[in-house]
Amino acid sequence: MTVFADFGSTWTKIVDSSVRILRTKDVPRDIIADIACGHNAKIRSKRCINELIALCEGGLRLIDEKDFLLVDVGSRDIKYVIYKDSRFVETGWNQECGASQGFAVELLEMYYGLDYNELEPIENGHPVTCGLIGISRIFDEIIKTGNERKAIARFVKGIATNVYHFTGKPKRMYLSGGLCDNRLFIDSLPCDVLPLGRLVLIEGLKEIHKRTSL
Amino acid sequence: MKVGFVGCPPHDIMREYESEELIDLDNDLGRVEEKSDLYLPKISCSVIKRVFNNALAIKPQKIIFDVGEGKCDSGRFLSWILKEHFNMDIIETRNQNRRGRGTVICDSRLPLKRKFELILNNVIENRDFKLEREPHPKAGFWSVPCWDSRIFDLFPDGTTILGWTRCFENGTPDDLELECYAREDIPTVFYAQTFCSKNLLAKNLARVYRGLYVDCDGMLTASVEAKIEAFLYLRGAVR
Repeated sequence: MTVFADFGSTWTKIVDSSVRILRTKDVPRDIIADIACGHNAKIRSKRCINELIALCEGGLRLIDEKDFLLVDVGSRDIKYVIYKDSRFVETGWNQECGASQGFAVELLEMYYGLDYNELEPIENGHPVTCGLIGISRIFDEIIKTGNERKAIARFVKGIATNVYHFTGKPKRMYLSGGLCDNRLFIDSLPCDVLPLGRLVLIEGLKEIHKRTSL
Repeated sequence: MKVGFVGCPPHDIMREYESEELIDLDNDLGRVEEKSDLYLPKISCSVIKRVFNNALAIKPQKIIFDVGEGKCDSGRFLSWILKEHFNMDIIETRNQNRRGRGTVICDSRLPLKRKFELILNNVIENRDFKLEREPHPKAGFWSVPCWDSRIFDLFPDGTTILGWTRCFENGTPDDLELECYAREDIPTVFYAQTFCSKNLLAKNLARVYRGLYVDCDGMLTASVEAKIEAFLYLRGAVR
């Protein structure tokens, strides 16, 4: 049984005969994947694949269109790929300025005990380019207004706007990663969003494995 | 006598000092004390910071500083600061040469790292090379000499060099037309140091020639490395 793994900074996706999504800090040290990408993949797998290449291959496998933009919003970064006429044209990976945005969304959910699916999107967001700076803005707003829900919705809107700008203000995007389950984030993006779930990179790894083991 | 130089000064003045110990202050000269953080703004590019640190650490008796359009405003201002505030003996030049000596190294089959070494050292050595031309380069690299030379290892042998480094080999550092030369049929990475005004060119040339635009502040980051690796793979330059 081939073991595929996407070692994210905070969440690890492991697929063999089952699908496991674990906190990265809880992944047993003895797990060595056959083919993997992400955080520590070089030392935790027999074959390490560049995450952008895995994202491209996952997109090609899951999206039945010749032209598409696929963006993966992770815990600490944003990556995207653009295909036109089934040919790769552009990629971007924002690790520095997208720092910890996804992780900040998760921390806030835990701290305030929120359900993002119950929050209403807001029109104007905070200009958020970094999770930590964004959190500081939230605290400022909560001190001023006392409205936690509105402050957090504004933060999420800011993150969504940042993703939208980073990917070149598309009319439509396919979304990969944990934020696919976050309705507030999806509704805060000012374009059509088609969520593909958390296993897009794993699908890419499967495609690469299939092609190279023939 | 130690004579530092910055940018690509005119050939004639370099010859005047060829019997001296010529030191390229744009280059990595090993461990030197970091003083730029005390005197230069954080938003200075890594190469300007390096020139400053090298100048203060090496203390050349003279510095030949090309401050023409072939360098940049930051370089011109730094030259003034070194002269006026640090009492350094600066010879300012403006290299407007248009008699190109050719781009044999840029277009050769050599590995990218070797090409950069030869081009940069040749300002001092002034050799004529006979190298086999790569007729079908798999990739292109548009840039100035990079702060972190590990970036060169990501590219296949024979990658063609474009941008200011090409102008540098040609001895025509302010030739904007040559600097903006690129080819759409060669997957090209357009690279600039963060905070360098060449980012304007890099981003727009990448758009026009369907290349990859990257900027990097000093050390090569994992995301920049991954972007270049993926771009070259997905465009068929490496397997």
